[in-house]
Amino acid sequence: MQPPPERPGEPTTAKLDDTAVQPHFHWALKGFLVAARLPIFVMAFTFLGVGSLAREAGVPLGVALLSTLTIWAGPAQVIYFGALINGVALPAIALSISLSSVRLLPMCVSLLPMLRRAGTSRIAVVYLAHNVAVTAWAESIRAIRDIPHNRRIAWFIGLTHSLVIAACISTYVGYALAGALPHAFAAGLLFITPIYFIAALARNAREPIDWIAMSSGLVLAPLLKGVVGAGLDLLVIGLAGGTLAWGWQKRLRARAAGETAR
Amino acid sequence: MMTPETWSTGIWPYLALILFGFLPSEIWRFLSIFIAHGVDEKSEVLEWVRAVATALLAGVVANILLTPAGALASVPLMARCAALALGLTVFALTRRSVVAGVATGEAAIILAAWWFAP
Repeated sequence: MQPPPERPGEPTTAKLDDTAVQPHFHWALKGFLVAARLPIFVMAFTFLGVGSLAREAGVPLGVALLSTLTIWAGPAQVIYFGALINGVALPAIALSISLSSVRLLPMCVSLLPMLRRAGTSRIAVVYLAHNVAVTAWAESIRAIRDIPHNRRIAWFIGLTHSLVIAACISTYVGYALAGALPHAFAAGLLFITPIYFIAALARNAREPIDWIAMSSGLVLAPLLKGVVGAGLDLLVIGLAGGTLAWGWQKRLRARAAGETAR
Repeated sequence: MMTPETWSTGIWPYLALILFGFLPSEIWRFLSIFIAHGVDEKSEVLEWVRAVATALLAGVVANILLTPAGALASVPLMARCAALALGLTVFALTRRSVVAGVATGEAAIILAAWWFAP
């Protein structure tokens, strides 16, 4: 007996095995369990820092919370409140935020085709894209391939919404505690972003292309510091490092194919 | 005119956040929808896009290590790099445990911060 398709008329591209017909809620819970392993704590620590920075910038609590819900990108929020503290003009803040968030573009472009289905509405895709941030991307870009196609959105929303809720609570706590955090602990909060990002990238790395992209990003950043104008360096690092890794992988594959053909 | 001071009361801080924080960031997510439209899940282009995103993120990590904000700046550059390397080493030794790697790196940086700027 074939299980009936979810919505009539929807193309059944995914394999409809037993797991695929479990309710959406079941998969949303699985997404939450992925978040609960570590990412939720990473979020909690990161946004403690964002909350206390917002307090220092002198904005109301509502603005701090709204920044987490709307911007939903830790580094951009740090730039926003950091620049407010330093009295940077608002249009200049907007420019540096935009340059720092360029990374969201390749992240969304690589994830969205795996998430949406033929029947997914435009509004839903906009909302899915809004939920993409580094942590959500790093946790799903590999793992999503093992989720049944028609349950990926439920799984992803379960994952990202646990992260958003943790981040909001933590923004509030950080705002309330601002200034009371011991110095060494504050340094630890700011370090959680780089150590978690790099460990998550390394965990996701399977093929040469991943390792080359990762190491070229690490190497190019100090080399380009001061060479390329402020903010644009990340764009150059991404395009140059990514293309290098991609080309290298193609060469390795071609060589491997040549050797087996011989 | 466009200084933070004039935007700091009433509804203005909220409006400023939306106009100068949210929209400049969200534009990339919005644009991605049009670019991703029609791209197949199995397309080879996606491999390149993923590599670009990976390199970009590694660049973000390097930039935070090189020019950190706030309390992290009080830890010397060598100690910041050493804490990251230590975290990655433990990650590799524990068969890719992100939790172990992050915990070790964090312990190292907090100790370093306490040592260099108590």
